[in-house]
Amino acid sequence: MTQTPSRRQFLQTTGRVAAATTLVSAATSNVHAAQDSTIRIALVGCGGRGTGAALNALSVDNGPIELVALADVFENNIKSTHAALSGHAKVGSKVDVPDERRFLGFDAYRQAMDALRPGDVVILATPPGFRWVHYTYAIEKGLNVFMEKPVTIDAPTSVRMLELNNRAIEKNLKVAVGLMCRHCRGRMELFDRIQSGEIGEVNMLRAYRMAGRTASAAVPPNDGSMSDLDHQIKNFHGFLWLSGGAVSDFLIHNIDESCWMKNAWPEKAIAVGGRHYRDGCVDQNFDNYAIEYTFADGAKLFVDGRTVPGCKQEFASYAHGSKGTAIISTASHTPAKSRLFTDQSMSKDKMTWAFPQPEPNPYDLEWADLIDAIREDRPYNEVERGVMASAVTSMGRMAAHTGQEITLTKFMKHDHEFAPGIDQLTMGGDSPLMPDDQGRYPVPMPGLVKKREYMDAS
Amino acid sequence: MTLKQLVLSLTIAGVSSSSVVAEKPTTMQPYSDRLEHTDLAIEMVPIPGGSFKMGSPESEADRKDDEGPQAEVTVSPFWIGKFEITWDQYDTWGEQTDQLRRKMMSVDPSERDILVDGISKPTEPYTDMSFGMGKGDFPAICMTQHAARTFCEWLSAKTGHYYRLPTEAEWEYAARAGTTTAYSFGDDPADLDDHAWYFDNSDDTYHEVGEKEPNPWGLYDMHGNVAEWVLDQYDPSAYQSVAGAVDPLSVPKTLYPRIVRGGGWDDDPDMLRSAAREGSSDAWKEQDPQLPKSIWYHTDALGVGFRVVRPFIEPTADERALKWDKCEPKQVDSD
Repeated sequence: MTQTPSRRQFLQTTGRVAAATTLVSAATSNVHAAQDSTIRIALVGCGGRGTGAALNALSVDNGPIELVALADVFENNIKSTHAALSGHAKVGSKVDVPDERRFLGFDAYRQAMDALRPGDVVILATPPGFRWVHYTYAIEKGLNVFMEKPVTIDAPTSVRMLELNNRAIEKNLKVAVGLMCRHCRGRMELFDRIQSGEIGEVNMLRAYRMAGRTASAAVPPNDGSMSDLDHQIKNFHGFLWLSGGAVSDFLIHNIDESCWMKNAWPEKAIAVGGRHYRDGCVDQNFDNYAIEYTFADGAKLFVDGRTVPGCKQEFASYAHGSKGTAIISTASHTPAKSRLFTDQSMSKDKMTWAFPQPEPNPYDLEWADLIDAIREDRPYNEVERGVMASAVTSMGRMAAHTGQEITLTKFMKHDHEFAPGIDQLTMGGDSPLMPDDQGRYPVPMPGLVKKREYMDAS
Repeated sequence: MTLKQLVLSLTIAGVSSSSVVAEKPTTMQPYSDRLEHTDLAIEMVPIPGGSFKMGSPESEADRKDDEGPQAEVTVSPFWIGKFEITWDQYDTWGEQTDQLRRKMMSVDPSERDILVDGISKPTEPYTDMSFGMGKGDFPAICMTQHAARTFCEWLSAKTGHYYRLPTEAEWEYAARAGTTTAYSFGDDPADLDDHAWYFDNSDDTYHEVGEKEPNPWGLYDMHGNVAEWVLDQYDPSAYQSVAGAVDPLSVPKTLYPRIVRGGGWDDDPDMLRSAAREGSSDAWKEQDPQLPKSIWYHTDALGVGFRVVRPFIEPTADERALKWDKCEPKQVDSD
């Protein structure tokens, strides 16, 4: 573990400057000195990732920034988030969230955003099913937005988000989407190199996220200690109306970075998948997925996702070109350790380029880039890209769940909205997806249920 | 697995854990503790108790101040893992693959299955914690000391034998295997290649356990491959007051720093020395995107794992509470 930097850096191949620090200092602000240049932040959705995003936000060091409001549907989440952030050695002093600015309930997002002024930032980090609801209000309030990925989980809300976003663009709101790999300096350089032809024509890409059980993808039955709605939200990766399931939540980064390197969105998808180990679980996910995407030029993107313990694990993306290959990301999201090779088997002696290590952390960079754009008032909107990545991912999931070939054109016209009433939920009320009298939920039935991903009452 | 290891494991495979009855340390046998509902076993090597000089002499190359003054200490007899804990062994606890298999085979839970059910499990990781370097017989990595301790708690419930992490003194005693040189094979780092995986020969990755030469007491990868957790809090001045102690242990009182020993695949030769000590830090959780950060994972400690020991004399519940299992602050999952 002990690093001897000089010796290690000496061994690295050259490239762009490596910033070892995680605290990326951006340019200082151009805001008029006469104004209060403090950026206020509200966090809607106090889970682990939302809290992490707030920490990344408060760590941006280019002017005053503070957290002023928290919203969630679970009291415990609000408590633990507040404790974690206010007690944090580096950012604790930037947390100012008294009791009266901690909001509980399905309408808490409104109160939290009401605590901000136009030009402040709201973090949308609830399960993605709620994203369009919260984004609608943020636009109305004239707020800048950081929204976690995925940003949509079905076709109708994808179309809705694109329409909504036009209003945000008109208002010049700065909107970031948590596909942080897009901010990775190594992948950026790799993209430039691929686009300039260093591996020739990109004919095939491969992406893997094969791991053991992941997050709340496998959901045990509700033991009766909470309502079905609460049980589903606690285990949101298990229910398509909330999260788009394991495909949307876990595979989107690798799918997105692969499409980025191809510089195109695929036109269609076919997929296989199934579930071998149910183990009494009641979620709607398969435990393995293999998706084949096809681009307009016939190039393929193969994606393998698995949440089965004890099997081969891989978490990486690769590109194959007519003149060489690229490792887009090596393991997990960071460090990417992007590399280029002149052969197809990526042998060490055929490596022509590697992004120097250590590389800066994209979770910090995505925030530095957003806050920079806000302070310098530059146009900044990642929503269309985020929606397309979400839709393409959902298209692959739908191909697996229905057993059909799905084209992107067809997908975007699809009418199955998983939770049309999601903006009307109430504490203690019913879920848009209720279990049967044995506590079971509808699961995909490829080949039998083909026009939608599962049968529900709607 | 080398042929030599295979032969070795075959010769002890016949010794099942239940027949390991040791009256005196001199009769301690190597044994293999099988993990029920899996095809795995943990191989244990007896280490007779004794006294040794802990730390390094001032004359040792690359020595650091925290390795002195050398102090004579005594350790009681114990068994220690022949190998670092592998991913397959580790995941049996973390992913409950033993229980999944039991259920798939429609086998009713035994008393022991009910017991292990009560032990904490790590929350599901957000990423492949092997970082693409391989699982199976590769050493488990990236766990916090708390996770390694909890694995031992699970292993004790699972097997009916008391397992824990080694103390720093036990670890060094076993690593030295009677030697007083910088490494258990001598003083020359040039000879490391036959005995250890480290920065210069590891090809930027860990390797399956047991591929290099073992130390004189038959323990593999004590130098290199992955640095190994011990029970102690890291205290650079600990050796000033440890002379003459029997089974010394610095019971942890703070989360950082705690100690790993033996160096790993990404370390240089000086960190692989028998006496070298390294303290953990919160930088080992740098890329964990969650807050609060997980109590189970050191997302950036790709060169940190552990092996287990089993003391010859099993401590009483009181002794465990007051010393061996004692650890502060208490680690609680945020959920």
